[in-house]
Amino acid sequence: MDTAVETRALRRVYRSRNQEVVALDGIDLLVRRGERFGVLGPNGAGKTTLIKILVTLLLPSSGEAFVDGLDVVHQFRELRHRIAMVSGGENVGFGMLKVKEQLWMFSQFYGMPSPAARRHITELLERLGLSEAADRRVSALSSGMRQKMNLIRGLITNPRILFLDEPTVALDVGAARDVRDEVRRWMAEDPSRTVILTTHYMMEADELCDRVAIVNRGRIVAQGTPAELKQQVQQDAIVDLQLTPGSRLLDALRAVGGVAAASVAEQDGIDRFSLQLSSDAALSGVMRVVEGSGRQIRGVQKREPTLEDAFVKLVGRGMAEEEQP
Amino acid sequence: MRHPSALRIFLKTIAARAYPRVVASFRNRTWVVTETLLPLIGTIAMIYVYRALHAPARYLGFVVLGGVLLAFWQNVIWAMATQFFWDRGAGNLELFAMAPTSLAAILLGMAFGGAYVSLTRSVAVLLVASILFGISYSTAGLLPALGIFVLTICALYCLGMLLASLFLFYQREAWQLADAMQEPIYFLSGFYFPVRSLGAVVGGVGSLIPLTLGLDAIRQLVLPGTTQFIPIRWEVLAIVVQIAGYALLSQVSLRYLERRAREDARLILRST
Amino acid sequence: MSAAIAQWRGFKAATRLGWEISSNWTRPLVFVLYSVLRPLSAAFILVVMYRVISGNAPGTAAYLAFLVSGVAFWSFVQYGFAGLSNGIVEDRGEYKMLKYVYTSPVHFYVYLLGRGLAQLASAVASALIVLVVATIVLRLPIDPLRVNYPLLLAASFLALLAVIGMAMAFGLLLLQAVDAHGYGELGSGVLYVISGAIFPIGVLPGILATIASFSPLVYWMELIRRSLLGPATIRMFPALSDGDVMLRLLVSTIGTLIVAHLVFTWADRLARRKGLIDMESNW
Repeated sequence: MDTAVETRALRRVYRSRNQEVVALDGIDLLVRRGERFGVLGPNGAGKTTLIKILVTLLLPSSGEAFVDGLDVVHQFRELRHRIAMVSGGENVGFGMLKVKEQLWMFSQFYGMPSPAARRHITELLERLGLSEAADRRVSALSSGMRQKMNLIRGLITNPRILFLDEPTVALDVGAARDVRDEVRRWMAEDPSRTVILTTHYMMEADELCDRVAIVNRGRIVAQGTPAELKQQVQQDAIVDLQLTPGSRLLDALRAVGGVAAASVAEQDGIDRFSLQLSSDAALSGVMRVVEGSGRQIRGVQKREPTLEDAFVKLVGRGMAEEEQP
Repeated sequence: MRHPSALRIFLKTIAARAYPRVVASFRNRTWVVTETLLPLIGTIAMIYVYRALHAPARYLGFVVLGGVLLAFWQNVIWAMATQFFWDRGAGNLELFAMAPTSLAAILLGMAFGGAYVSLTRSVAVLLVASILFGISYSTAGLLPALGIFVLTICALYCLGMLLASLFLFYQREAWQLADAMQEPIYFLSGFYFPVRSLGAVVGGVGSLIPLTLGLDAIRQLVLPGTTQFIPIRWEVLAIVVQIAGYALLSQVSLRYLERRAREDARLILRST
Repeated sequence: MSAAIAQWRGFKAATRLGWEISSNWTRPLVFVLYSVLRPLSAAFILVVMYRVISGNAPGTAAYLAFLVSGVAFWSFVQYGFAGLSNGIVEDRGEYKMLKYVYTSPVHFYVYLLGRGLAQLASAVASALIVLVVATIVLRLPIDPLRVNYPLLLAASFLALLAVIGMAMAFGLLLLQAVDAHGYGELGSGVLYVISGAIFPIGVLPGILATIASFSPLVYWMELIRRSLLGPATIRMFPALSDGDVMLRLLVSTIGTLIVAHLVFTWADRLARRKGLIDMESNW
């Protein structure tokens, strides 16, 4: 069987007393076995809801989902033997247990023989640089060490499909890199393993994933390899423009002829505009608008398109803007 | 694909889930203070009420025996029934639910892990209060009383699993309702007075709680002069029926409510 | 002036927060049932114990009134002491917001006072329900028109100040514990035994009775009964006038607040030194 995950018209609606929120609005997904598949989107896009359905914690409102060929609604008991999930920022388990005890405990919920579990735990602790923390209490771990421990928890039982829900959120650069390296290494060990990764870090999806689905407001807006998605903006010139803060400018820039898409992010007191231009000639129009705004230019740079640029083009605005209410 | 058998996973889960409870009792010994002093103080307060009323000595024994079983009732409510509330807040419930094990095994593990603490609590109440206040018991009925005690605890744990499945469905309400149930249960179960005093109807309703009949039977056996609610053999039969009944109901309820929780996202929503 | 306004706003917010936490966990009807069932059950346990021993023998109503009045007002201590001290620990562990409150300009005392008052407000209904139901059902000699309200209110004000002071100090002490579960109830349990709530302190062995005589709650209980029941009540201090008992209540309250403040300050310093204000134990 080549398909690891398949969803058909998957829909999930949350209902409370006063309102209804459509978290997933007809998701059709196909992930092949052996893939590292990314689900990319802003906060509130529906990524976590999708994962929770696939790992059998949540039932869909309508539609179907199959993981490893098994129906997540009706065959969930068998499915649970084959999957594992690791979420970012997890503070699970029990603070008074030692790291190796906590990991052993979770392995027992899968019926793993204790000697094999302990051996595997020792091996994984060493690979992730946690051997010295094996006898430390969980409550004494830093967030980076804790997340590595969480990742080990997901790997001990040797799942066929590993779900990672924003696994590097709130981690420093070094810890995040270690987590990504371990995921790559784990996949390389056995080509039949599959990873489904949700993230809102474009760079992470670009670096780690064979294919990516961009999700926004409960729908998939695009799917493909990072290269295919970037191809959608390849013909455009990508220009980064750094300006001093001032009056609102984004709409005016978007209105300039030849500007295919534009987004802005504030960093260190500078507004960084990312413009996708259908041709270099559009730049003059952009400069006229900038000059008229009274803002000062701190930098202009042309660069290669990234996944974020593809996102902006497909969604029409940047990740940060999407997350604003 | 071959997996470990369901029975193997069930038993391993019980042991693994009990492990943190047992370890906690060794790594942080402050429970010795709260888990012995708290029930002891409650028992002592009620003993002094009877003293103030110049009650016969056996009434002090009623209170002590009530305190002994109270320890297990507390374990059932706080270590089993409301545990999913805490686990959901910590994010553990998701991981338990996602694993190929049963929630019943998780609950039993919690209960067994806490039983050690409950036993310590019960023994402390029994010994300290009995010695302090000079309460004596009939040894002739000790062994059968012990047997009834074991049956009562089994029935109580089955009831605890049923309550846990109901509380799976609730969030903060679960904790508050468990807290609210304390005094009504103490009242209906006759923790501090003979159940017979409540009359047939109220006593009958209270008998739905395994503690009520178990406590009455144990008192009849070890505290001579206790007026019976119903004969001991009927009480034992009723407890056995309760074990079977609550065990079955809890399994049905756990499965049904787990599915409902998956539908309503109650497994993953972490409100406090 | 602006500092005072900030403290007042913080106090209001804390009171509102405390009230919401204790009341918004369910539908209003369920909350009302909870507020009614709990105190009534606690009271009826004692009533049944009393009836089992004394039956309906004449002349025993005084003791029943003694019991019920103590239980009714005990809900203030239960909510105020256990509720507030547990609340401090919950703010740290469950809600993870203690650090934000602690580092805000609002004085920590002001915040805790607000939280404590909200708990006490929850107890008002409990106390009233028990008194009203018991007076009607058990025909207690409580006449609303003959209650000495000034005495009752003055005594309650002092005693509840002491309760909140003790709860604050105890709550700060609990921050030292990795697992603070059950200590709030333990503390209020100890107070229950030595407060004269459900039996006269004369029943206690010598040393306990002596310790009890330092507690403001004992004098509060005495004054509650004198103000509600008048001369018909069983008195724990028959030789003392109302004024004498009130004076003892005042002195013991002041003493309690001084000790509570010292303990609070010490525990606060210790918690900061050890970094316990934002500790997450995930026990």
